[in-house]
Amino acid sequence: MTDTEFLLTDVDVALFLVNGYHVVELDLPAGLNEQISEKLDRLAANPGDAITESVPELWQVVEHPQVRGALISLLGEDYAVNSHRHWHCKLPGSGDMQWHQDGTNHRGTTIDRLLGLYYPHTITADMGPTVIVPGTQFRNAPTDRMATYTNIRGQVPLTVPAGSFAITHYDLWHGTASNRSSVKRHMIKFLFNRTSGNSAPSWNHDPEALKRERDWDARDKAQDAVNILSFGNPLGVSQSDHYKERIIRQACWQELLGNQEQQEASRF
Amino acid sequence: MDSQTQPRQRLLYLHARTPSVFSEILGYTLIEPVKGFRVEISGGEFEWPYTTVHDAVVDGWQIVQFPHLQSPFSDTDLDVVGYEFILQKMEAIS
Repeated sequence: MTDTEFLLTDVDVALFLVNGYHVVELDLPAGLNEQISEKLDRLAANPGDAITESVPELWQVVEHPQVRGALISLLGEDYAVNSHRHWHCKLPGSGDMQWHQDGTNHRGTTIDRLLGLYYPHTITADMGPTVIVPGTQFRNAPTDRMATYTNIRGQVPLTVPAGSFAITHYDLWHGTASNRSSVKRHMIKFLFNRTSGNSAPSWNHDPEALKRERDWDARDKAQDAVNILSFGNPLGVSQSDHYKERIIRQACWQELLGNQEQQEASRF
Repeated sequence: MDSQTQPRQRLLYLHARTPSVFSEILGYTLIEPVKGFRVEISGGEFEWPYTTVHDAVVDGWQIVQFPHLQSPFSDTDLDVVGYEFILQKMEAIS
């Protein structure tokens, strides 16, 4: 059991359902990020899933209480670390990677699998950061159909400090910018799976949070779970798309709360 | 007419919030008719040259394809972001 100190709040979970990502800046042991970076710099070949055998220090990251707290909050206490992982080394001078969703187009509208992106060194805009598009996690779009998109309003380059761990919904649209710097950019991707449904919230849930009324005057500045779930629209999409997103995210919220019946009712 | 003065097709893909030319642009891709040209996702702040499709038309871009409107009307399915307009300018590129 992870100390409840590191579990997410209602607002954190609501924001995740709206935006599809959550970044944790880890309080790692001194020197660990540097040690991992140096080992990665020296690797001659990409070991694929065996990256954690080549750099076993990565387990200290994956098993860090802040990472576990966030993952338990979103996937439940019994989440699994998938055996797939990958070291994304972006060499100096390498070009961008266009928008895509991982995997095929068998998409779900649940919170059942997440990516974890660990950055052992500080990522600047010229180093080829991962770029994500908040709010796209519930879209089912063949990657081919994203080929005419380049810059998307609301996109977020993950220019983050060393030791950051970005948790994203598996289906969130993502790509990378070019690496115009003189250094290798490292990112290690992990995959996490839900193994059972929630019968109760798995985060630091406050039942009072559900009693807030919708505030139509503060919808752009919502700071509580009810209003974030109702009004969040990170891309500024059309009314019809926004209403659909709202239905899906509220169904997810009910599912995470453990309210299966309400989940069905709100969705259909 | 040499290659310096022959008009060539500049392409602009704009993904708008709705099929209206007055709605806000959510996606922007400019393709210049220059050998080796590549588009690139910005790793920093991106400067948006236009706010709406209409702004681009006012600036001389011509719409050569309007959005296809055969998207499904399911209340639970979401696919791509916005509605795609394709625009062109025929210009000599030096």
